[in-house]
Amino acid sequence: MAGPDTRKTTGSAAKPSLMELAGERLGRGLLAIALPLAVLVLWQLSGKNGAVAGGALPTPDRVWNAWLVWAFGKPGPMTLSPYVGTWADAIYFSAMRVAKGFGLAVLVGVPLGIIIGWSRLAASMVDPTIQWLRPVPITAWLPISIAIFGISDFGAVFLITIGAFYPIVINTTQGARDVDKNWIRAALMMGASQWDILRRVVLPAALPSIFTGLRIGLGIGWTAVIVSEMVAVKSGLGYVLWDAYYVGRMDIVIADMVSIGLFGFLSDWAIVRLERWVLKWRRLQNFNQ
Amino acid sequence: MGTISLRGVSKVYGGARAVTALDHVDFEVAEGEFVALLGPSGCGKSTLLNLVAGFEGLSEGTLSFDNAPVTRPGPDRGVVFQEASLLPWLNVWENVVFGPKVQKLDRSDYEPRAREILKIVGLEAFHEALPVQLSGGMRQRVGIARALVMQPRALLMDEPFGALDAQTRLSMQALLLEVWQKLKTTVLFVTHDIDEAILLADRICVMTARPGRITRTIPITLPRPRSIDDLTSAEFNRFKALIMAEMRGGHH
Repeated sequence: MAGPDTRKTTGSAAKPSLMELAGERLGRGLLAIALPLAVLVLWQLSGKNGAVAGGALPTPDRVWNAWLVWAFGKPGPMTLSPYVGTWADAIYFSAMRVAKGFGLAVLVGVPLGIIIGWSRLAASMVDPTIQWLRPVPITAWLPISIAIFGISDFGAVFLITIGAFYPIVINTTQGARDVDKNWIRAALMMGASQWDILRRVVLPAALPSIFTGLRIGLGIGWTAVIVSEMVAVKSGLGYVLWDAYYVGRMDIVIADMVSIGLFGFLSDWAIVRLERWVLKWRRLQNFNQ
Repeated sequence: MGTISLRGVSKVYGGARAVTALDHVDFEVAEGEFVALLGPSGCGKSTLLNLVAGFEGLSEGTLSFDNAPVTRPGPDRGVVFQEASLLPWLNVWENVVFGPKVQKLDRSDYEPRAREILKIVGLEAFHEALPVQLSGGMRQRVGIARALVMQPRALLMDEPFGALDAQTRLSMQALLLEVWQKLKTTVLFVTHDIDEAILLADRICVMTARPGRITRTIPITLPRPRSIDDLTSAEFNRFKALIMAEMRGGHH
């Protein structure tokens, strides 16, 4: 998969050189962007005068130019458009809401999941309620959220917390239930208290599942922030998305969507990095299998 | 210190089709004695060990350790599990000091001891290794070290070498003989390997299944200190013949 130019620099066949490794990564990178690139090219070519589908959508070059202005434009005293130099603000507002809502969901979901998974009493007390409430989609929580918090930041945070909470609590519960019986026995034999067992055995043993929950929860968090900003808050990527649609700025709509995708991807990547670091023992285990 | 006593102990696993794993077992282990429970799988030997460890409750009878009834697991009875059951996210050192740490013992008290024990089991160069990076035999050395570091009054070993290859098993048996001959802790050792039982134990209790009972107790009078060379002696083979006859008889 390495590029042909890097092959020539091969010194010894046994050990891949730095150039070879770099070439291999480059090759994989090229492979990954081939599909989006093809779509972009087709999209661009199918347009006429910067418009596709009879004027409903702009071509990529127009989206790119709109984004440049949105991101780096300097609003003058006469600027009326809200899409000049405000991109970073929109990102900041949305990302902060996701961070707050997701953080809250982790703080509540992980301890609760550990307790539900560990204690039968807690499971029979709390688990049914969670299972009944879970099918209520986050969009259905919007009226209550607005009624309680009004058009405020916390309305969005509330929705994100609810959305991210379920996958986190459910996966944590699963992880805490699946702990190897002999790990618990070994810890008890060594004099561990119930608290020690929860903190030093059940929690680390559940971490692989917890990370699964975190990744799903974060994805739902991004959905929730867009939905709530479209309806209940007057800032952020979701607000811009809906507002731009109303004024017919489809170039901004598409630039906004790409931004959401980019930051959703980046935050997921951050969690995956964290997981790789925290679960080093697990990675080695899998590699050995 | 380290005496185990079972009086009329039964263990029935419930449900609609109840299974009697142990049926009115009387059994004693004296202070400093090495006793092997020998029998086929399903004879209740691991159940007996789990009861002594406090992992499971008995259905009937009395079970005491140093004249106090056993109600729960504790560091006075160090358990060595069949698959070592180390905590995979902790390295060798962290696994070994887990017990003293959760018991909130003084570091200066247990750290030199942990280093010493890891040296004895030949792992002084592996403190930082994760369990997954070790071989099966090395993992079990950690399992033994983690039990010994708590200075238990009894060591309960549940087929600890059963999952190892023949050669590793021999070296582990040699290691255990060496360590035990120094420490003289009470040991309850569960195995299905006749050679292993004869080599290690002062006394072998042969168990049969359905229902689980101890059918015969055989003192092994081979002189101490023993080594793996004893495995080929004439006297060893005499015991082996005796036990094989006993176990064949028990299967009818």
